[in-house]
Amino acid sequence: MPNIIEVKNLTKKYGDLTAVDNINFTVEKGEVFGILGPNGAGKTTTLEMIEGLKPITFGDVLVDTLHVVHHEQQVKSIIGVQLQSSSFFDGLNLKELLNTFAAFYNREVDAMALLKNVELEDKWKNYVKELSGGQKQRLSIAVGLVNDPKVLFLDEPTTGLDPQARHNMWNLISEIKRQGKTIVITTHYMEEAEVLCDHIAIMDHAKIITMDTPHNLLRNSGVGSRITFRVDKQCPIEHFKALPAVTEATSEDHGYRLLTSNPEETLPALFGHEVGCEAKLFDLQLKQATLEDVFLQLTGSKLRE
Amino acid sequence: MKTVLKLTVSVFKMFIRNKQSLFFALFMPVVIMTIFGLIGFDRVPQTNVGLVATNPSSATQQFIDQIKGISAFDVTTGNLADETAALNKGDRAVVIEIPDNLIPNPTATTPPVKQTVTILQNVGQAQQAGTAISIMNQLLDKTRLAIANAPDLFDLQVQDVNAHNSKYIDFLLPGIAAMAVMQMAIFSVAFVFADYKEKGILKRLLATPMKPYQFVAAQVIVRLLMALAQTAILIILGALLYHVHVVGSYALILLIAILGGVMFLGLGFTISGIAKTVEAVPAIANLVAFPMLFLSGIFFPTSGMPAWLQHAVNYLPLTHFASAMREVMANGAGLSDIASNMYWMIGWSVVLVTLAVITFGFEEKRV
Repeated sequence: MPNIIEVKNLTKKYGDLTAVDNINFTVEKGEVFGILGPNGAGKTTTLEMIEGLKPITFGDVLVDTLHVVHHEQQVKSIIGVQLQSSSFFDGLNLKELLNTFAAFYNREVDAMALLKNVELEDKWKNYVKELSGGQKQRLSIAVGLVNDPKVLFLDEPTTGLDPQARHNMWNLISEIKRQGKTIVITTHYMEEAEVLCDHIAIMDHAKIITMDTPHNLLRNSGVGSRITFRVDKQCPIEHFKALPAVTEATSEDHGYRLLTSNPEETLPALFGHEVGCEAKLFDLQLKQATLEDVFLQLTGSKLRE
Repeated sequence: MKTVLKLTVSVFKMFIRNKQSLFFALFMPVVIMTIFGLIGFDRVPQTNVGLVATNPSSATQQFIDQIKGISAFDVTTGNLADETAALNKGDRAVVIEIPDNLIPNPTATTPPVKQTVTILQNVGQAQQAGTAISIMNQLLDKTRLAIANAPDLFDLQVQDVNAHNSKYIDFLLPGIAAMAVMQMAIFSVAFVFADYKEKGILKRLLATPMKPYQFVAAQVIVRLLMALAQTAILIILGALLYHVHVVGSYALILLIAILGGVMFLGLGFTISGIAKTVEAVPAIANLVAFPMLFLSGIFFPTSGMPAWLQHAVNYLPLTHFASAMREVMANGAGLSDIASNMYWMIGWSVVLVTLAVITFGFEEKRV
C-alpha cells in the first residue's frame, strides 16, 4: 500500500518549549492510524500541523504527495477534520449546517445522505445545541466527510462519551474505513486503539516512543500475560518457575501468579504439571497484556493522568 | 463569489434566528423611538389652574366656562380650602377665586359694583402662573369692553401657515436610526465573532479551503442589509406613528446608513479582535458605545452642552452619522450640505477598518 501521509522530522516549538520533537511516521492508504499518548504529549499539535492549522517549526509533511506548507489549500480540500471539542453554528439546523460547510469547499452535497451515514437523518431539522454528546461527535464526523476526503482526522472522538456512544463511534469509524478512507485518530483509550487501529504510534513528552501494529506492540514489548490460579494442595514454587516461557512466579494468598511471555506454551505444561504435583487447579484466569501495560512499561507512568 | 453568496444566505438565517441580535438591532430602537416620541418633549405643558366659585350667577358661569375652554389651561374646580392645599402641594400654578356676581346681569338696571378676582400664584411655577395671569387680564378686559358696549376697533386675524416646524420626533428619528445601526454593527459582530473564536468555530473553518475573507464578506453583507432594513423600518414606523415626513433623498439616506454601517462594523471587528473572551465583549463595547449614545446628539441637541464638550463630541463618529442622517431626513440636505459629516465618517471608516484588519484574525496569535 502506498503512503498517503509522510511526516519527516516534524518539530513544533513555542519559544523554549518543544511541543513536538522531531517525529517521523508514515500512514498507509486505507488504514486506521492511531496516535496514543497522555494529555500534553503533543498528539493534537502533531495533527494540527498536518492539517495546516498550525505553522510548522521544522520538518516536512506530505499529504497525498502534496507538501502541506506549499499547498495548504489543496491539502485542506482533500482532508476531513474533526477537532477536539469542536462546536458549530447555533442558528442552523443540521441540514443547513452541512450545506454551509459544503459551500466552504465550493461543492454541493447530499446532506441527508451524509446524516444517514452517521444515523442522524431524523435530526436534520434540529439545531446543534439540541444534540447529545455522542450525536454531536457523529455530526462533526459528518461535517468532516462533507468534501469526500481522502484522509479523515479524528482528534479524540470518543473522549467524554458513555460506553454505548463510544461503541457506536467505533462502528462508525470502522464503516468509514470500509468505504476506503484513511483515518488518523488520536485517543488516550488503549482499548479503542486495539479495536480500531492498524498501526499505532505512542507519543510521550513530544516524542514518538514506539510505533507498530497493536499485535506486534503486545508481542514485542516483553510485557507478558498473567496466569493466576489456586491449588488444593501445596506445591513448591520452583515447579512453576520451571515451566516453559514463565518469567516470574509468585505465591499469593491461596494461590499463585505466573508471568509468561507466551501463554500458548505455558498453559499446556501447567496442566501437565498438575498431574505431577497431584494438586488440582481451580479459579484459573488468564489475563492478556494490554496496550495499557505496554505503555506503562515504556513510560513508567499511567496513560490517563 | 458563489461561495460568498451561499454563505450570505446561511449567515442571514443565523442572524434572524438569533433573538439577541434581533432584539438589539430592531426591537430596542423601535421601543426607544416609540417611548421618546410619546413623551414628546416639544409639547407645551398645560398650566394647572384651580377655579373657586361658590355659587356663580348664570352670567358668571358663562365666564367660567370660557376659562375652562382655554386650551393652555388644565382647569380643576373646587372650594378654596382644597384648591389652596393643592397649590401648596405644587399641583396648581394658580388658584383663581371668582366672585359669584363677577359679571353683572345684562338686564339689571342698577350700575354694576366693582368686583375683585383674587389669584393665588405659585411662585415656584412663576412662568406658567404669569401666563395664566395675563390671560385672565385679557379675558377680563375683553369682557369689560363688551359690557361697556365699546365699539370694536381692532380685529386680530390669525392665519394658519404650514411652516416646516422641526418637531422633536423629527430630531429624534434620524438619531435613533444612526444609533440602531451603530448598536447592531458593534454588538452583533463583536459578540458573534468572540463566541466563534472561543468555541473554536473559526479554527474549524480554517481547516477548510475557504478563505477567511469570504466568510467575513458574507457577515458584512448581511449586516449592511440589516442597517438598511433598520433605517427603513424606523422611517416607516415614524411615518405611521408620528407622521414624520422625510424631506431629503432616500438614496442619500441609504448611502449614509451604509457608510455608518461600514464604520461601526470596523469597530465591531476591532472589539472582537481585542476581546480575549466573550465576557469581555460587553464591557469593551459598552465602554465605547454608551458615552456616544448620550454625547452624540441622539436624544438631545449638542447645542445645550458646554462649549468645550461640544467641541469634544464633534470628534465622535456617531455625532457625524446622526447629524448627516438628520440633515437629510429633517432638513432635506443634499450631499454637498453634509460633506463635512461624510468626510468625518469616511475618515473614521478608514481608521476603524484598518484597526479591524490589524486586530482581527481567525487564527490564534502565531508564536
